[in-house]
Amino acid sequence: MDFKDYYAALGVSESASPEEIKKAYRKLARKYHPDVSKEDKAADKFKDVGEAYEVLKDPEKRAEYDQLRQYGTRADGSFQPPPGWQSASGFGGGGYTDADTREFSDFFEQIFGGGRRGGGFSGAGFGGGGFQRDMRMRGEDVHARLALFLEEVFQGCEKKVTFTVHEADKQGRVRPRQKTLNVKIPAGMREGQHLRLKGQGSPGFGGGEAGDLLLEIELAPHPTFTVEGRDVLVTVPVAPWEAALGASITVPTVGSRVTVKVPKNSSSGRKLRLKGKGLPGKHPGDQIVTLQIVMPEQHSKEAEQLYQKLADAEQPFNPRSKLHL
Amino acid sequence: MARNESVFTIDVTASRATFSLREMCERGECHAELVVKMVSYGIIEPIESTSETPEQSWEFDLVALMRLHKAIRLQRDLKLNLPGLAMSLELLDEVESMRRDISRLRQQLADLSTDQGGG
Repeated sequence: MDFKDYYAALGVSESASPEEIKKAYRKLARKYHPDVSKEDKAADKFKDVGEAYEVLKDPEKRAEYDQLRQYGTRADGSFQPPPGWQSASGFGGGGYTDADTREFSDFFEQIFGGGRRGGGFSGAGFGGGGFQRDMRMRGEDVHARLALFLEEVFQGCEKKVTFTVHEADKQGRVRPRQKTLNVKIPAGMREGQHLRLKGQGSPGFGGGEAGDLLLEIELAPHPTFTVEGRDVLVTVPVAPWEAALGASITVPTVGSRVTVKVPKNSSSGRKLRLKGKGLPGKHPGDQIVTLQIVMPEQHSKEAEQLYQKLADAEQPFNPRSKLHL
Repeated sequence: MARNESVFTIDVTASRATFSLREMCERGECHAELVVKMVSYGIIEPIESTSETPEQSWEFDLVALMRLHKAIRLQRDLKLNLPGLAMSLELLDEVESMRRDISRLRQQLADLSTDQGGG
C-alpha cells in the first residue's frame, strides 16, 4: 500500500494552519468537482482532495496522520501501519463525517476505517453499517456518460458501459463495485440526451428497489462532420468554375454519399440543405452543406490568360463594396 | 470481485418516464421542501404545470431528475445556498453550450484553413 501524501494533495505545507487547509480545500473542490470540471480524472482528483481534507481538517486525525507519516513509511516507499494500530478518531469509534467516505482509498480505510479489514477490532463498522441491515432503502441512481461516434448514432449500436455501484456486503458495509453492461443503443440519439436503464443502478437495501442507471449521451468529434441539434454540417470544397457555372458534385453523408446540384453563381459560404439527411429519428434533421471555393495550387498559362479575360470582362464588379472600398 | 456482465436492451420509452414529487425525494434522498424550493428558484421544473398545479400532482422528467442529483451533489460538496446553486447551474449550462459551440466552430475553422492550402 502506498502512503498518501495528504499535504501534497491539497498543495499545502506540513505547517499549514487550519485556515490555510480549509482555503486550499475549498478552492480545489470547486476546481475538480466532477459536475464542474472537464479535466481528465477530475473525479479522482476530487476524491483525493476530499479524503485529504477529511483527515487534515480534524486536529486529532491530523496528529495521528503526522505521526504515521514520520514512522510508517518503509525504505521502499511502501506503507504499513504499525502493528496494533487503531485510530482514536476513526469512524468506528463514533466519528462523524458528512463527506462521502465510501470511495476513499485503502490507505484511508486502514488508518481511519475502524478496522474494516483484519481482526482485532469489533466495533460497529464504518458508515453506519449497522442500521442499514434493518432498513428498507431504495438503491442509488448511478450516472454515467457514454460517448458515441456519429456513425453509431446513425445506425444504433451496442456499447459496453462500465460504472460503479454501491452495495452492502454480508456485514452490511457499503462497498463500491464495478459493473459492466452491454447496452443496445437505438439509432438517432442526440448529444446530451439521457437514457434510463431501470434497475441497473445500485441495489436496494433490505428488499428495497434497485436504483437506475442514467446514461448521458455524448458525441465524439468527427473528422468530416459537425452536429448542431439534429442537423449535420459539412464543408465541401468546389472549384471556382463549378461555383460560377453550376455543377453536379458528390457530397459525403454519414455512411454514404449523394449527388448535389451546385446552383449557378454560388459564392463561397453558400449553404445547401439536404432534407432529412441529418440525425435520424421521428423528425430527422437535415444535412447542411457549406460550399467553399478553393483554387488549384497552380494555374496553367492558359488558365491565367482566361482569368485575365474574365477580369477585363467583369470590371464593374467590386467584391469589397461592403467594406466601402 | 465478480463482474456482472449482462446484455440489456434499452427501451427508449423508459427514458420518457416521469417522476412524482415523492419519487424525486426518494431518488434525491431529500425532503419535499427542498424540491419545492428548487422549483421556485427555477433550478428544476415540473412538466406541464402552472402555478396553480398542486405540488402533489407535479410530474418531473428525467432531465429534471438528473438536474436534481447534480444540484444536490453541488450543494453537498461545495456548500452552496439555493440562489448560488441556481446561478451556478445556469452558468454551467451556458459554459457547456459554449464549449460545444467552440469545438464545433473550431472544427469548421480547421476545415476551412486546411482545405484552402490543399487545393
